[in-house]
Amino acid sequence: MDRNYHIFSDGCLERHNDTVRLVTLDGEKKYLPIEKAEAVYLHGQIDYNTRLVSFLNKHGVALHIFGWNDYYAGSVMPKRGQTSGRTLVEQVRAYDDPGHRVDLARKFVAGSIHNMRSNVSYYNRRGHDFDSILTTLADTRDRLAETTDVAETMGVEATARRAYYSTFDAILPDGFVFDGRRYNPPDNETNSLISFANSLVYANVVSAIRATALDPAVSYLHEPGERRYSLALDIADLFKPLLADRVIFRLLNRNQLTTDDFETDLNSCLLTESGRQTFSKAFEESLEETVEHPRLDRNVSYQYLLRIEAYKLKKHLLTGEAYISFKRWW
Amino acid sequence: MSAPDPVELLLQTARDDASPEEFRVTGVMMQYYVVCKRELWFHSRHVEIDRGNAAVVRGTNVDETAYADKRKHVSIDGTIAIDVLDDGRVMEVKPSSALVEPAKLQLLYYLWYLKHVVGVEKSGVLAHPTERKREDVELGEEESERVENAIRGVYDVVTSDSPPSATEKPVCDSCAYHDFCWSC
Repeated sequence: MDRNYHIFSDGCLERHNDTVRLVTLDGEKKYLPIEKAEAVYLHGQIDYNTRLVSFLNKHGVALHIFGWNDYYAGSVMPKRGQTSGRTLVEQVRAYDDPGHRVDLARKFVAGSIHNMRSNVSYYNRRGHDFDSILTTLADTRDRLAETTDVAETMGVEATARRAYYSTFDAILPDGFVFDGRRYNPPDNETNSLISFANSLVYANVVSAIRATALDPAVSYLHEPGERRYSLALDIADLFKPLLADRVIFRLLNRNQLTTDDFETDLNSCLLTESGRQTFSKAFEESLEETVEHPRLDRNVSYQYLLRIEAYKLKKHLLTGEAYISFKRWW
Repeated sequence: MSAPDPVELLLQTARDDASPEEFRVTGVMMQYYVVCKRELWFHSRHVEIDRGNAAVVRGTNVDETAYADKRKHVSIDGTIAIDVLDDGRVMEVKPSSALVEPAKLQLLYYLWYLKHVVGVEKSGVLAHPTERKREDVELGEEESERVENAIRGVYDVVTSDSPPSATEKPVCDSCAYHDFCWSC
């Protein structure tokens, strides 16, 4: 599977002969092996031109841009190789059919709860007492079957996520508090990390969706958004416990990230540049981890699991074959 | 009113006559029809294939490099793309002879299309350059009937609302739709 490249420095990204070159402000030149790239993530202030965009397009490489506060600012996606009107029609049809939509919404939430539960039970086996949380998560999962509309399903998801987040303060090392999820902007180190991690998961899902002809803005659990790729939110939720939270816990518990990697402003707390580098490196390594896939009969990377999820959804919409959301099986 | 004959529909579409519906069959659809009807259905729905798939890369590579100086690429009606040799025969190049039947049907379809739509009769040659093998292919009565039956079969597959269900076949391993079929 092709890999992602993260650029944190400021400078200029350009096409140079048949490769991509980064020239930083201090004149240093670095080359990106474009043949092996899935996407390039820009975290710094980068100048680029249309020549670069055409070149990336030719190689099918996406450009994801992060702005102030690590907010996802947008993507320059390769021109689609194939568009499929029929896929979009089926996608909208499912959205427009209340029974079909709530069924898909429930499946996304069921997968999310399963994956949250998997993290909690991991720490439950390692000296924490999370039995009651595990029970709560199992109960919310069972309540899913009774939901009749998307709002109710969302409510169950919120309950589960609150229970899940309540374990964070116990899992995190001393010096890190969580105290509930807050953003716009994040007010402490943990929230800041979660925001950064989630935006990386989100951008990777955007890439995975674009590998199919699915429209990233037509979603089922989340309301189709006007300015965001809400289908990416539906799918990203399934993977946050595996791709974001586990990496956060690992880095903090092993002291690879400390409070020194954050800078606190008036009312926000953000990762420093070196903190973001540490995190995205660990994040990319985690994307490259593999697991044996029972049906594909081979090892697949965590990153490829995102692609598979987009395939599964598309297949369901086109053929009517059942969609089974991602549930960690190992 | 009885359903129109797909062969007639195809000919009307190709001749740009007024026809009740458009129906086009490409060479690759003929191949898929023999190899896997589910693949054909996916293809008709524009499900993307994995262009990085090893077999796809190899096939493209062999097609682009073999006999590059001897054959001329000709696209007809935007529907079929054939390679014509210097001597006027139609050549179809495949990386291996493992799937010879589907390749043969594809070539026969080209000959049939040339005869019935364009109005020229040609002979064909099926080549497996990596194995240094060639086979002459002619469109006779029996072959024409095979092609026409396949056109009707293709029509049935692509007009149905859902694809045939997935069944594990030896070719699945190298198929560009493998992950799409088996990622449940």
